[in-house]
Amino acid sequence: MQIYLPVAEIPINIIVILIFGLMTGFIAGMFGIGGGFLATPLLIFVGIPPAIAVATSTNQIIASSTSGLLVHLRKGNVDIKMGLVLVCGGFVGSFFGMFIFKALQKTGQIDIAVSIIYVVFLGAIGINMMISSIKELLQKKYGITWEKKKDSRITKFIARAKKWPLQVNFPCSKIKVSIFVPLILSMLIGVLVSLMGIGGGFLMIPAMISILKMRPQVVIGTSLFQIIFIAANATFLQALSNNLDIVLAIFMIFTSAIGSQIGTKTSYKIDSESLRSFLALLILAVCTKMLISLFSKPESLYAIEFIK
Amino acid sequence: MTLPRFDKTILLCLLTALLTLFFSKKLLANPIISGISANEIEIDTSFKGAKILLFGAKGYVGNVVVAVRGPKKDFIITKKDRIFGVWYNGKRVNLRDSYSYYSLFSTFSDQKLPEQLLSDLELGKDNLSFNFYGDIENKNDSEDFKLYFIDKLEQEKLYSTNVKKVSFLNETLFKVMLEFPKTISRGTYSVDIYLIDDGSLISYQSIPIYVKQTGISAKIFDFAHKESFLYAVLSISIALFVGWFTNFCFCRFFGQ
Repeated sequence: MQIYLPVAEIPINIIVILIFGLMTGFIAGMFGIGGGFLATPLLIFVGIPPAIAVATSTNQIIASSTSGLLVHLRKGNVDIKMGLVLVCGGFVGSFFGMFIFKALQKTGQIDIAVSIIYVVFLGAIGINMMISSIKELLQKKYGITWEKKKDSRITKFIARAKKWPLQVNFPCSKIKVSIFVPLILSMLIGVLVSLMGIGGGFLMIPAMISILKMRPQVVIGTSLFQIIFIAANATFLQALSNNLDIVLAIFMIFTSAIGSQIGTKTSYKIDSESLRSFLALLILAVCTKMLISLFSKPESLYAIEFIK
Repeated sequence: MTLPRFDKTILLCLLTALLTLFFSKKLLANPIISGISANEIEIDTSFKGAKILLFGAKGYVGNVVVAVRGPKKDFIITKKDRIFGVWYNGKRVNLRDSYSYYSLFSTFSDQKLPEQLLSDLELGKDNLSFNFYGDIENKNDSEDFKLYFIDKLEQEKLYSTNVKKVSFLNETLFKVMLEFPKTISRGTYSVDIYLIDDGSLISYQSIPIYVKQTGISAKIFDFAHKESFLYAVLSISIALFVGWFTNFCFCRFFGQ
């Protein structure tokens, strides 16, 4: 079934879009991420122009995150105070990120830069998550324990951050931390978010667990909470520059919101260690795919971009 | 009244024949006369491409060449290069004011082409001129970019530079089926009909075809461009509402 997209100005098979929406929504709800790092490449793959793909998937992220967030809210698993702090940092960071994006766009190397950033971050986080979740699983099943390195960089950093000014209590997350820690963290992620055109959930979640040491139950809900704001901001800017196709977005929105509900429900049935290793696998798969495409000979040496 | 296409063709041909009879005097002064089955292509949500029939009559001498040219657009073409095994965007070229659609029909047999005239009229693959800007170092570069551009657009059926034949119904009546793929751009297309004899242009006629978005599709396009602020707010609200609504429905019907 073909439908003509008015802003993208191309026809597209709507069934494919509906399936993509469901898939990304499911993954988004399951892992508490926006799903942008999956939706954008998928849309580009079926022939949507990259600019439209990025804009449309940010809009879809709002829907899937809202849908997932409400489930967590009802269970009281959202630290709104922490979420708002992260949103503030994220906005500042994405503002800087946009400047870097524009500069890279001028040199014509933006897609390569984006791929390399994806590979580096997805790779680092994927491997890290994989190792830690395997360790946890082994510990649970066979009682094997590892000696924890007491002087790892993260623990050193956390120890130092204890002396920073403006220590704030986050009762819901059960942590007390200097407000600068989440602020700086979300700023750094914000820069990457606007460079990669995603919500940044897969970066935020590991950071919340290992650096902020938040209670694992509230991590996903809080991450979804801040993603909504980041994605709304991005959608707004994209729509102003005429990159958003509302027809494409609506189809993605409906199915991804449904997918997100199913995903969120499923996530409560699976223990958090396996959940984390699934996410690690997914991240590593996307990373490998990008790595291969960086090194493999392109189908055509040339590419045509159409200027409106 | 809708007629099957076959009947339509016959009707158009009859019409042309009548025109030829009545306007035979005019035809002597202006020895080619033609028309098309539709002046407009409307792109709506179910657009799948369009076909337009061009028909016409000419005198006994001369060859007919028909060129269809789409609105001029700007393009960026990049060529990938490799450094340490990683493929990156090497040369980057701007292509300004190039036809977004180009297709060619003619009655010439291959040997007797009036090269000079065809080149003056920009007819044929070798005679299309392109304005390249950017990383162009020599003639080979622009030739490579040009060949790639034509090749790519031919794959997408937007260009056809392999001259297609004009079919004749008798010695003077001809017809051409113009095909537009679903990916055509909006704008004004021109169907240019040339009558060439002995290396010189005897007669020329140009018919415009307007390609535009219609219906809801056009309304959305206009809304997105003219009221982008509202458009942005609306898109975000829809997303938030749908997110809330699906959650509400799931709770209602499937429980917690």
